[in-house]
Amino acid sequence: MTRVTIPIGPQHPLLKEPLSFLLTVEGEEVMESVLRLGYVHRGIERLCQERTYVQNIPLIERVCGICSHVHTTTYCQGVEALSGLEVPPRGLYLRALMCEMERIHSHLLWLGVLSKNMGFDTIFMYAWRDREIVLDIMEELSGGRVSHAVNVVGGVRIDLDEEHARSILTRFDVLEQQVERALELIEYEPTLMARTQGVGILSPEQVRRYCVVGPVARASGVDIDLRRDLPRPPYDRLEFKVITHPAGDVWARTLVRVRETRESLHLCRQIIAQLPDGPTSVTAKRRVPEGEVVSRSEAPRGEVIYYIRSDDSDKPARLKIRTPTMTALITLPDQLRGATMADVPVVLSGVDLCIACADR
Amino acid sequence: MPRYNWPLLPEILRTLFNRPITVQYPFGPLEMPERYRGRVDIQAEKCRGCGLCVRDCPASALELERVDKETFRLIYHPDRCAYCGQCEESCRFDSIYLTNDFVPGTPHRENLTTVLVDRKPEEGEESGGDDEPA
Ligand code: SF4
Ligand code: SF4
Repeated sequence: MTRVTIPIGPQHPLLKEPLSFLLTVEGEEVMESVLRLGYVHRGIERLCQERTYVQNIPLIERVCGICSHVHTTTYCQGVEALSGLEVPPRGLYLRALMCEMERIHSHLLWLGVLSKNMGFDTIFMYAWRDREIVLDIMEELSGGRVSHAVNVVGGVRIDLDEEHARSILTRFDVLEQQVERALELIEYEPTLMARTQGVGILSPEQVRRYCVVGPVARASGVDIDLRRDLPRPPYDRLEFKVITHPAGDVWARTLVRVRETRESLHLCRQIIAQLPDGPTSVTAKRRVPEGEVVSRSEAPRGEVIYYIRSDDSDKPARLKIRTPTMTALITLPDQLRGATMADVPVVLSGVDLCIACADR
Repeated sequence: MPRYNWPLLPEILRTLFNRPITVQYPFGPLEMPERYRGRVDIQAEKCRGCGLCVRDCPASALELERVDKETFRLIYHPDRCAYCGQCEESCRFDSIYLTNDFVPGTPHRENLTTVLVDRKPEEGEESGGDDEPA
């Protein structure tokens, strides 16, 4: 049979961000795919060396348009470690609260994108409607839906009073009901299962070889989660399950992510219940003593790594970001091999593409 | 095995008679939360022209034209502003702050520029917040 090459992207209705795939197909079957990245490279790492530690926070927040808070958290953790700062417990709890809400928002957003790409618009609408609940809470707390500007070196800027906490908890109840319904849908909806089961399979060996992290790895049965494996306060005092599934296909990823959403809701409740008193931040010096640090956190998509080298000035000498999407992206040619054309959107959405993150 | 075949049906029936939950902006009011980070404003009489906010602004949205302690102008360019709130964080005199006014898009970015503080020695006092193009 003759082989045909089909380009997907850089501009394609399927992709919300520019990414290019060259698919070689024989009939309906994808034989080969070539991935091209770099269309939204913004030179953020280099730019960070030109700006002060303070000015870098809003810039780093813009590495990713979905998990912006976890990026600044990881960056601030690193700078705090370099300057030997101790963040007050209340600051750490509020940071974690934002992180968990961000995870909820990111996973629900992803559920919507996946359903949209496989033509199941009803779930898309419901998932995004429910996501508004957390987005509203985050906007009330921080003043922005996705760019929260919550972190400063030394703590957080926001605070949570009791009345507000109560109102948040009532809205979490509504959200929890909706998440339970979404879970039911994923476990029992025949259309969704038919489209996602057995598609885009990654084996645990492939996951280890490509260093895949986050929900994609957990959906292949690899039990990794930095919140448990490298417990920083407050996660060492919170109870949560690390969700895994052995199947390794897109369906398992859906299930893992929505179950994680439920876990994150429990985490948020615990954080609000245990919120310690005291200040939310300490003042940081502008100059950071010489040194280097690797800072890691569990972002919604997996482990995000920051490497920062300082040289006793107010600007970092080098800053390197490893985003979790990068690891998932390079598995795509493997996942696409042997898939049919109709499954390509499902496979692509299955890994939770965030191209801007990967390109930086 | 599916427990039942229409797991979406109850949700569809529930939402069938709901009103739209989206905000009807611009045909309806747009209510911003109290902490929403919008247009930057200033309590001009408190400003000392120290330039801390200018130094920390990540987007070069603030500009300080300073002659001496008593003569300076603080200019704000909302078209560059990232609404990050860093200026409010940096100001030691509680002078500059973020309001919750949403700044809508405009095809004429130069009209947005605002002189926040225009301090002259003889008045000793401010004249702040006029929407006057620089
Ligand atoms: S909010 Fe941020 S970008 Fe805007 S003027 Fe203040 S510091 Fe600059
Ligand atoms: S607003 Fe505050 S930080 Fe900015 S120049 Fe005036 S006093 Fe200084």
